[in-house]
Amino acid sequence: MNNILEVGDITVKFGGVTAVSGATFDINPGDLLGFIGPNGAGKTTLMRVITGIVKPDDGHVKLEGQDLSTYSINERINCGLALAQQIVQPLQEMSLLDNVALACGSAKTKSALKSMFYHDRSAERQRARELLDMVGLKEACNAMPSTLPLGYLKRMEVARALALEPKLLLLDEPLAGLNQNEAKGLADLIQSLNDNGQTILLIEHNLREVMRICPLLYVQDNGRPIAYGPAKEVMQISDVRNAYLGKAN
Amino acid sequence: MAYEITLMTTIAISILFALSLNFISGFCGQISLGHAAFLGTGAYTSALMTKASIPFLITLPVSALTAGILGFVIGLTSLRVRHDFLAITTMGAGFLFVGIIRQQDFFGGEIGISGIPATGLGRIGFMSLCLALAAAFALFSILIRGSWMGFVFSSIADNEDVTRILGINASAYKLIAFVIGTATAGVAGALYAHHFRFIGPDSFGFVESISVLAMVIVGGIGSVAGIVFSAALLSVMPLLFQFIDDYKLLLYSALLFAMMRFSPDGLAGLCVRTYRKLTGARA
Amino acid sequence: MLYLELLIQGIVQGSIYALIALGLTLVYGLLRILHVAHAALFTLGGYIGVIVTNQSGSLVFAMFVAAILVGLVGMAIYKLAYEPLLNQPPFIALIASIALFIASEELFRIGFGPYGISYASQPLTGHLELFAGFRLKYAEILVIGMSIIILSILAYLSVNTRIGVAWRASVTDPSMARAFGVNIQNVRYMNFFIGSALAAIAGVLVALLNNFVEPTMGSVASYKALAIIVLGGLGNIRGTLLASMLLGVIEAFGTIYIGHLIDRDALAFGFLIIVLMIRPQGLLGVK
Repeated sequence: MNNILEVGDITVKFGGVTAVSGATFDINPGDLLGFIGPNGAGKTTLMRVITGIVKPDDGHVKLEGQDLSTYSINERINCGLALAQQIVQPLQEMSLLDNVALACGSAKTKSALKSMFYHDRSAERQRARELLDMVGLKEACNAMPSTLPLGYLKRMEVARALALEPKLLLLDEPLAGLNQNEAKGLADLIQSLNDNGQTILLIEHNLREVMRICPLLYVQDNGRPIAYGPAKEVMQISDVRNAYLGKAN
Repeated sequence: MAYEITLMTTIAISILFALSLNFISGFCGQISLGHAAFLGTGAYTSALMTKASIPFLITLPVSALTAGILGFVIGLTSLRVRHDFLAITTMGAGFLFVGIIRQQDFFGGEIGISGIPATGLGRIGFMSLCLALAAAFALFSILIRGSWMGFVFSSIADNEDVTRILGINASAYKLIAFVIGTATAGVAGALYAHHFRFIGPDSFGFVESISVLAMVIVGGIGSVAGIVFSAALLSVMPLLFQFIDDYKLLLYSALLFAMMRFSPDGLAGLCVRTYRKLTGARA
Repeated sequence: MLYLELLIQGIVQGSIYALIALGLTLVYGLLRILHVAHAALFTLGGYIGVIVTNQSGSLVFAMFVAAILVGLVGMAIYKLAYEPLLNQPPFIALIASIALFIASEELFRIGFGPYGISYASQPLTGHLELFAGFRLKYAEILVIGMSIIILSILAYLSVNTRIGVAWRASVTDPSMARAFGVNIQNVRYMNFFIGSALAAIAGVLVALLNNFVEPTMGSVASYKALAIIVLGGLGNIRGTLLASMLLGVIEAFGTIYIGHLIDRDALAFGFLIIVLMIRPQGLLGVK
């Protein structure tokens, strides 16, 4: 298997509570996998295990066959992960352009000591401009984050993650907090990124958009995996329907 | 003339010291409340060496080295604790430094080290050296701020977690900021010791750490020009207020308080706002 | 025997630390400000205690006056100095607080003279002979006793009264507390009043132990109290009390055993740094 990401039997316990139990799935090149589940399903926890913020009690995460368990978050990013966070965190003191340009400069920031000898930012800014254009923020390049609405910042997060040219793009609830039109627009963008060959893991609560764009689904409920496979088949499974619609249906 | 030379030397050393803290706190956002300990490390290193008849100029790089090594260790703590915890940890390191110096006869204990030999450069030569070093570090600071290192520093000061999510090894950058900042403070300390020719534990206590932080913040945190100005101003202020000697510390602290209360972004911020107001009024 | 004496000394010192640090941790819990000027209120309490005792002849009355007056000063500091700075980065308020502290020390020096003052006739000078020559000064008993009583009353009030509950809610989650109709502003005033009054009482007690107050008596207390609240886990009350006692005892023993290596005041910070490297969130802090 030359899968990109392999999540194997991940278990996380907080105190006595099991937040994630036996989570297992793979992502292959070119996939757009939707990771869904009701509130409290352990989605964010699993995402944090993948990025290395939370240490799992059991199981492994491999990127292109390489075990990431001893890696810090920035090392994982350097291996080819990129993350757009659920709660947008722009760097407040710099323009959108510089937010993205900083991420474009990973070649220049990789060695902390050498970074003092690089001064030119024009190539990175040019690339950042292209990325912001791609996510539809061309006109907001020079704006400061604090002056912009959430919808813009969500797109900036995606552009900033793309700037790292990741093998796998992790999107943590990118549609949360957006209105229906904004959500649809951003979902379309995610789909077009995938059409262009970007492998994506999309964690999302907005079932309607996920169903619309994701060919593959992984479903978790109460920390346990309950379904994994092509979207249409997954939605036929009664556990999944129960988890979302309640047992009464 | 002698008075002016002394004054200029004092100012130059203050500027160098303040800019060294700015590297850590201004550029990289790591607030330090114990920076005087590194001034002290440099001062004691250099003073002990010249008293052992080692030429002054050789002691400068050694002072930078000892202070930088200590700074590296304190920098390591900044990888464990952040924000208010880091502020108090660095404050603790400052107290620890003074507390240890005080009890060791090797460092002259409570009495300190006096009779530090002259540099052999002459008063004007020494002043020129101090000015040159301060100017060189100011230039270096401006250069770094415009580099990708400075870019990452401002990102860390802004939000360290995000910086890491962008794949940047924030720890390495923080350590570099600490090492460069503290090594420079060490050089400032060597100059300090040979300017005053006497050092003691009280020269490097909490009040000194706060004074230098005040210079950085009053100047406008991160602003090289603002800090050069405020370091010059605040270091001569006690001399200017000599005629009201009894009230000078009161006045100093009152000014510092007023600055924080009414213009928290320092003189640099005050200038920018005044400029905007003036040009805005004209337009 | 020496051990027991050192332990008692440590507990007395720890009780003083607790009274001072509690106000500091209350302020931090509510406002996230490292309130260095708190130690100036401790000094002010000491001065008022000595002066009023000398005038009126009553220590109890003096302690009462000190607590009320200093409490009010604490409220004024919040209103005039901190409230306008709440939206600034935290180090702004910290520097402002340090400036305020230095200014107050200067005011004490200018107002009451640089050499300090003492009680006209020191109250509570006797001691209790417990056993086999083991003595406990009345003043020491008072320090330990008052700390226990005051802290117990506060603990009781914070659990069993409406305002106590409102206060705890404000510390845990200010926006939630506001949603439940708690007047945050009043809680903050009360917070400063109580915290400052405690510092004042600590000041009066220290003045009693040493029969002496001086302008700089707050310096060491100020920085050490900061170390204590960080050690306890910033804003954590139980952690603060634990750290106060631990530090009091460690200092008492440390001065004897490693005092020749580092001085007493540096000991606290050495301990602080070691603990923080092992537990970055403090003794009882939550990550």
